[in-house]
Amino acid sequence: MRINDRVFGMLMLILAVAYGWEATQFPIPFGGHESVGPETFPIMLSIILGISSIYMIVRPDPDEAWAPVPMLLELSVVVLSMLAFAWAIEPIGFMPAAALVVSFLSWRMGASIAKSLITGVTSSVVIFFLFNNVLELALPLGLLEF
Amino acid sequence: MDTMSLLMQGFAVALTPESIMFAVIGAILGTLIGALPGLGPANGVAILIPLAFSLGLSPTSSLILLTSVYAGAMYGGRISSILLNIPGDEPAMMTCLDGYPMALKGKAAEALAISAIASFIGSFIATIGLVILAPILAKFALRFGPSEYFALFALAFATLGGITGKNQFKTLMAAAIGLMIATVGIDISTGVQRFTFNTLELFEGVDFIIAIVGLFAISELLFFLERHAGDGLKQVAINKLKLSAKDIIKVLPASFRGAVLGFVAGVLPGAGASLGSFISYTLEKRVSDKGEFGKGDPRGVAAPEAGNNGAASGALVPMLTLGVPGSGTTAVLLAMLISLNISPGPMLFQQNADLVWGVIAAMFIGNLVLLLLNIPMVGIFVKLLSIPPKYLMPIVTLVASVGIYSVSHSALDLYFMVGFGVAGYIFRKVDIPLVPIILGMLLGPEMEKSLRHALVLSDGDWSVLFNSGLSIGLWTVAILGLVLPIIVGPIVRAKMKKSKESVKDA
Repeated sequence: MRINDRVFGMLMLILAVAYGWEATQFPIPFGGHESVGPETFPIMLSIILGISSIYMIVRPDPDEAWAPVPMLLELSVVVLSMLAFAWAIEPIGFMPAAALVVSFLSWRMGASIAKSLITGVTSSVVIFFLFNNVLELALPLGLLEF
Repeated sequence: MDTMSLLMQGFAVALTPESIMFAVIGAILGTLIGALPGLGPANGVAILIPLAFSLGLSPTSSLILLTSVYAGAMYGGRISSILLNIPGDEPAMMTCLDGYPMALKGKAAEALAISAIASFIGSFIATIGLVILAPILAKFALRFGPSEYFALFALAFATLGGITGKNQFKTLMAAAIGLMIATVGIDISTGVQRFTFNTLELFEGVDFIIAIVGLFAISELLFFLERHAGDGLKQVAINKLKLSAKDIIKVLPASFRGAVLGFVAGVLPGAGASLGSFISYTLEKRVSDKGEFGKGDPRGVAAPEAGNNGAASGALVPMLTLGVPGSGTTAVLLAMLISLNISPGPMLFQQNADLVWGVIAAMFIGNLVLLLLNIPMVGIFVKLLSIPPKYLMPIVTLVASVGIYSVSHSALDLYFMVGFGVAGYIFRKVDIPLVPIILGMLLGPEMEKSLRHALVLSDGDWSVLFNSGLSIGLWTVAILGLVLPIIVGPIVRAKMKKSKESVKDA
């Protein structure tokens, strides 16, 4: 199967066209036209990307297998958990958020629930104190602030 | 000699207690990073940049820390090659060929010690090469005008895939993507907003450090999950070290040859450390054909290991003197320099002479530290290697995010990091190399600036890009670098594969 490269090449071709078109729409800079305006370099890039994506569509490499659907779902859950961590770091605080995300990740990587909880809690507490007290980089306390 | 006195000044910088401390910390961290499978040198240095940055270390200290990490990672790569038969990073692949059989024969400790000595010789000779070659190249590069620089940047991208590159168009595509990301933000010379969609956060462009950590570290985590590699691998037990002076002398010639070849491969654009260790190994096999190569010959451990470390130091020559890195890890080191507001290139040797020579001197010291560290303490590193990734990778991810977060205390940066991680995962799935993307983001602004300067000077005449002998030469090499791998690449790759398979059969 050589679908991956074809689809990706198509996407990149769309990107190249959209990017190049957007570049032609730049307002003329104050002081009038110059030989190299803000759009010159981007237009060169969109041509290069366009050529290489056409090559990719015409002569695709063999596919590397994608993970089965359940695994892709799991990966999406992992990505969501990291996004949730990024969201939670300020309102909830570094330690609880980090403990949760590290435990979750290590559980998903195959550790037992008890061991992943220990990993999560210890690592987040150690890193918090290391950063706040030794390296003096303030991390948010969040809910634990009182 | 001028260079000598500058180097001595460098040692004065590098021998302060603070610098030595950073060299030691860097060496230890680097060895760990190199030894852990899946945490290659580029990855490790990338994670440490935001930390060094937010800790407010001085440029000299940060650079000493990170170059020691870099050197240490090259040492560390051999540990997993020998004990697990899995290279910690790509250039360490050739060390597996004889290192793992040696370990199977119950000579793991000897293999580790010999490779440590060979690594030391490799780095040491290559650092001397760097001391000699870098100032000459820097002086030469002063003659470069903007059109030569534009050609040079093109050359860097064209040769990045390396002689072993698989698909040149994918390298080209990756470079274009990286350069495109670099154009986001307010254009420096005209003040026009480009691709910002009026979003305030995009006015300053996309921070390349976030991109590097996302592309390397987060995508690696996703790959680990997918492969169910959380349990780690079985490693060969380590024995008690029995190494006589005679054994060491026996591998010295191999190490020296490997070091020189590796250095040359490291300096040349498009060759890189992988080719350095490969050439060293094959040449060693040819020179001394009486040995038992592939079945655990000590010289088969020494030659590629010296070559790989020699290439690592050699790769610093183009990075420091021209501002054009030849490998992933040196690209990451370049990111460090740029974020410290130091512009690499020929002027670096004049404007920041004490910094450059301090770092070079620190490399000598770091090397010595690494040698001293690696022979007696190898047992500790081996123990750490046996921590299963299922505990380690989440913690590494956490440290990476903390580093990104503490640069500007914004959760938005973390969203970007995760986003780049997903993009990195997809890129790797369709075989788009990540290094040209990073390099594009790093060199984009400079490349556009030199194009502008060249055309402003020539009043819009595009032929200025090809009007000096030097720029024509650079363009020729660039085109060769792009076209040659299509012809030579399959042959070299087939040879590398053959020598790997012949070992498996044995």
